[in-house]
Amino acid sequence: MAAIELREVSRQFGATRAVDCVNLSIDDGEFFILVGPSGCGKSTLLNMIVGLETLSSGEILVDGERVDELDPRDRDMAMVFQSYAIYPHMSVRENLAFPLRLARLPAADIDERVLRAARMLELEALLERRPAALSGGQRQRVAMGRALVREPRVFLLDEPLSNLDARLRVQMRAQIARLQRRLGTTTVYVTHDQTEAMTLGQRIAVMRRGKLVQTGTPQQLYARPADLFVAGFIGSPAMNFLPSRLAGERLELPVGSLALPERLRGAAAGAAGPLVAGFRPEDLRLAASGETTGLCFDARADIVEWLGADLFVYFDVALDGFGPLELPADLDIQTGDATRRSLVARIDPDAGVKAGDRFRLCLDPQRLHLFAGGRAIGDPAGLQR
Amino acid sequence: MTSARGRRERLLWGAGSVLVVCYALVPVAWLLSLSLKRGADLGDHRFLPAVVSLEHYRAVFQDPQFAAALWNSVGIAGLSTLAALLPGLLAAYAIVRLEFPGRRLLLAATLAIAMFPPVSIVGPLFDLWRSLGLYDTWPGLILPYMTFTLPLAIWTLSAFLRDIPWELEKAARVDGATPMQALLRIILPLAAPGVFSAAILVFLFAWNDFLFAISLTSTDNARTVPAAIAFFTGSSRFEQPTGSIAAASVVVTLPVVLVVLLFQRRIVAGLTAGAVKG
Repeated sequence: MAAIELREVSRQFGATRAVDCVNLSIDDGEFFILVGPSGCGKSTLLNMIVGLETLSSGEILVDGERVDELDPRDRDMAMVFQSYAIYPHMSVRENLAFPLRLARLPAADIDERVLRAARMLELEALLERRPAALSGGQRQRVAMGRALVREPRVFLLDEPLSNLDARLRVQMRAQIARLQRRLGTTTVYVTHDQTEAMTLGQRIAVMRRGKLVQTGTPQQLYARPADLFVAGFIGSPAMNFLPSRLAGERLELPVGSLALPERLRGAAAGAAGPLVAGFRPEDLRLAASGETTGLCFDARADIVEWLGADLFVYFDVALDGFGPLELPADLDIQTGDATRRSLVARIDPDAGVKAGDRFRLCLDPQRLHLFAGGRAIGDPAGLQR
Repeated sequence: MTSARGRRERLLWGAGSVLVVCYALVPVAWLLSLSLKRGADLGDHRFLPAVVSLEHYRAVFQDPQFAAALWNSVGIAGLSTLAALLPGLLAAYAIVRLEFPGRRLLLAATLAIAMFPPVSIVGPLFDLWRSLGLYDTWPGLILPYMTFTLPLAIWTLSAFLRDIPWELEKAARVDGATPMQALLRIILPLAAPGVFSAAILVFLFAWNDFLFAISLTSTDNARTVPAAIAFFTGSSRFEQPTGSIAAASVVVTLPVVLVVLLFQRRIVAGLTAGAVKG
């Protein structure tokens, strides 16, 4: 059992800062997720925790003791690699036993622990097989088994599911969550997949360009993103963004204007830089006939995605009179150009909206996120969710 | 039409293969045939010996010089292989795994040494060895063999090591292995095909070398087979030692062929299958 603390941890590679002054504390027994686009430094950070990468500055503590100077073998952590890194010249049994052999456990103990781990991961029938004779999912389980057979203080997982197909990934996701809850071992899990992050993590840290952008529960990140990047990165489909500007106590958007809620008023007036309005697809709803509360506007369905329980309607909005919208490039949100933006609304599938249909949508001002200079502004506590 | 074309293609392939095999094997067969002829039949212009006789083999093995030379060859080539592979493996490992200034330069310099013509250093080496007392000793041959094969070993081994996923070693370190344990228990077994091919190359170089062997030895103390063969004499001064030379050549070729055949499987076997996905 272990609590991990990172203090101003940095890693420099030549001129680039792969990890830039990260402060983080992970509680004992917590399932903690590091998420971010590729190249954001999350894997480097994980490698520094386990000791495969040295720190340029800062310190790492486990249960209050510094470990960043220790050899990986003295840190009592186990890691699952993205490529699984199973030893190909050993059978599954030998793979699982390898860490125990190195620890010089008695043979009887080794056998017993290997069997227990194999049973937990349903690998018993495969113990004598070579890795070459295993499927991708089985290899993944062997890698997991080799990590948990040691009963380490900390589990570190580096994108463990990214090489599996979609169906298997969902299965393994559930299995990993179950295992972690059962063992109660502190776990740090690195992924670039926000769905994985949202479903698995008790807490999530979003990283970008080596920096920690925001840390919180999945609900906090979803409901109160600290900046444009987190707002666009967390959630699928991504949050809608529109350029906007202040006109007295009202906020003007390309689709109309709305009265600014109390919590945004002061901050919006004092904000520097262009304002960006953000709202999630589910914050738009079909207008009841004659409804005028909030901001209501007409739209024409461009593409309709029906997923059974949900209906996602994509529609275009012209940006007449508003400057082009600048979003963080690494978000990979490419919807529209300088004059138009494509937005998406999640509406009731029973409404029967089809591609090409005209329909009327309303936005509740209480659900609006406002960003200035990339940062979220206003008092987040007032946001309704 | 397809079958006619297929037949013609097969025919061409067959003819080509026969040509290549003949080119490679006829001299060897000729050598074998010579070694099996009686002394009197050596000049009989026949490809196959009229009477198969083992008299040259008997003569060669009765010669104490040859037995000593064979022992020298086995010992010197074997020790040279070990002496080149150990530092070669560590050097290759460092070159592949570690980022250090001058890494490329080191590789280039290694290659440059491999291109160095041995004949240009043999003279100075002769003088040096004589004043150091290394002349006509085993170390006197092992040292130059090691030096000249080390680049070969480093290049071969680094090519093999480069193909071993680095994550395996990281995994071993996290699993509790020291760097040395990771190298010996994970990397080395996986690099075995590379180690074997490097070993064969080094062994062959030392086994076949004539230049150093003839220049740096003078007695049975350290003279290897290729050099010893050159000192063969006929049973009388009017007789060419052709038969004995042929028999000795067959005797020294055989172990090489055996070694290569033995290790070929290990070289071909893909040991890294299944290490990482796909």
